[in-house]
Amino acid sequence: MAEDLVLDTAIRDWVLIPLSVVMVLIGILRYFVSKLMRSFQVPDPKIVKEGHIHLFSSFTFRQVIVRARNLRGAANFIPPKSFRSRRVYFSNEKNLSMIIPQTLTFAWVNFFFSGFVAAKIPFPLTQRFRSMLQNGIDLSTVDVSYVSSRSWYFLNLFGLRGLFSLILGEENAMDDTQRMMQMGGFGFDPSKSLTAEKDGLDIVQHEWALPKFEHRAEAVLKKLVS
Amino acid sequence: MAGQGDSSSSEKKSKEVMNDVSTFRAENLQNNMKVVYYSRTFLSIIGGAIAGILGLTGFMGFILYFIVMAITSIGLIAKAKFSLHSYFDCWNRIILDGFLGGLMSFVLFWTLAYDIVHIF
Repeated sequence: MAEDLVLDTAIRDWVLIPLSVVMVLIGILRYFVSKLMRSFQVPDPKIVKEGHIHLFSSFTFRQVIVRARNLRGAANFIPPKSFRSRRVYFSNEKNLSMIIPQTLTFAWVNFFFSGFVAAKIPFPLTQRFRSMLQNGIDLSTVDVSYVSSRSWYFLNLFGLRGLFSLILGEENAMDDTQRMMQMGGFGFDPSKSLTAEKDGLDIVQHEWALPKFEHRAEAVLKKLVS
Repeated sequence: MAGQGDSSSSEKKSKEVMNDVSTFRAENLQNNMKVVYYSRTFLSIIGGAIAGILGLTGFMGFILYFIVMAITSIGLIAKAKFSLHSYFDCWNRIILDGFLGGLMSFVLFWTLAYDIVHIF
């Protein structure tokens, strides 16, 4: 079954490249919207206390991810209670604020670009992946390398992250943990990155590294003076 | 620094030994990690395009990816003048860090280049 299919040039022009271009543009759009929002809003401490989350009225998901990452990195240096309250806030908000653009794009792809072979991936996969990668194609004798546009969408989703981090600066890189790479297939779960970030937050063991900092400061000062 | 190649950003010394507790200057360590990540991403994109244009399929393509990653690691270690512990806190960071993210970018550009050149 190693014969080469000849695919229509029009597929390249009207499916592969537009899909990639659209995804890049949507990513850039999200970045600029979040930058705009960030310049308007200062994070409100009242929101943290009341646990009040406005889901669709603000596009602060990028801001949230950055702050959550800062929280994780610096977690050991703030007292336990404030760490916990911040953690709860972030877990609630991030789960819901990234799903929308991904869901819309996925629905668009499924509606317009289904039912034909879109691309050939250059490496062979086993038959188990056939149902995952060839969802619109109903011929079972076609090589698994010939995939539908849904898998091209997922390939773009993961692969363009690196590109975004290069062209848009470091804050825009979607945070990723090992868990994402171990997904058992391309099951439709666009909130994976947020769950991963949330789980990362959950996992952080809070050890307050500065319980004795007064003693250490005293020791340093003593050494300086004597 | 965003968008530049691998050798144009400098790495900063990130470890300072302060009396009895040795802590890392977090921002410098983070900056070094960023440099590693950018280098890997950039080179995996280029490597993907090369693999696609050359028409490598299957195993050969992944071998090219590992070669590119090894070259990246060696280049970064050479830039750190082989005294790794004054720039990073453990070996894993410079060798394994951007590996899987780079793999996805590599596969994307590999598929794109391969399709455009060979199945167009």
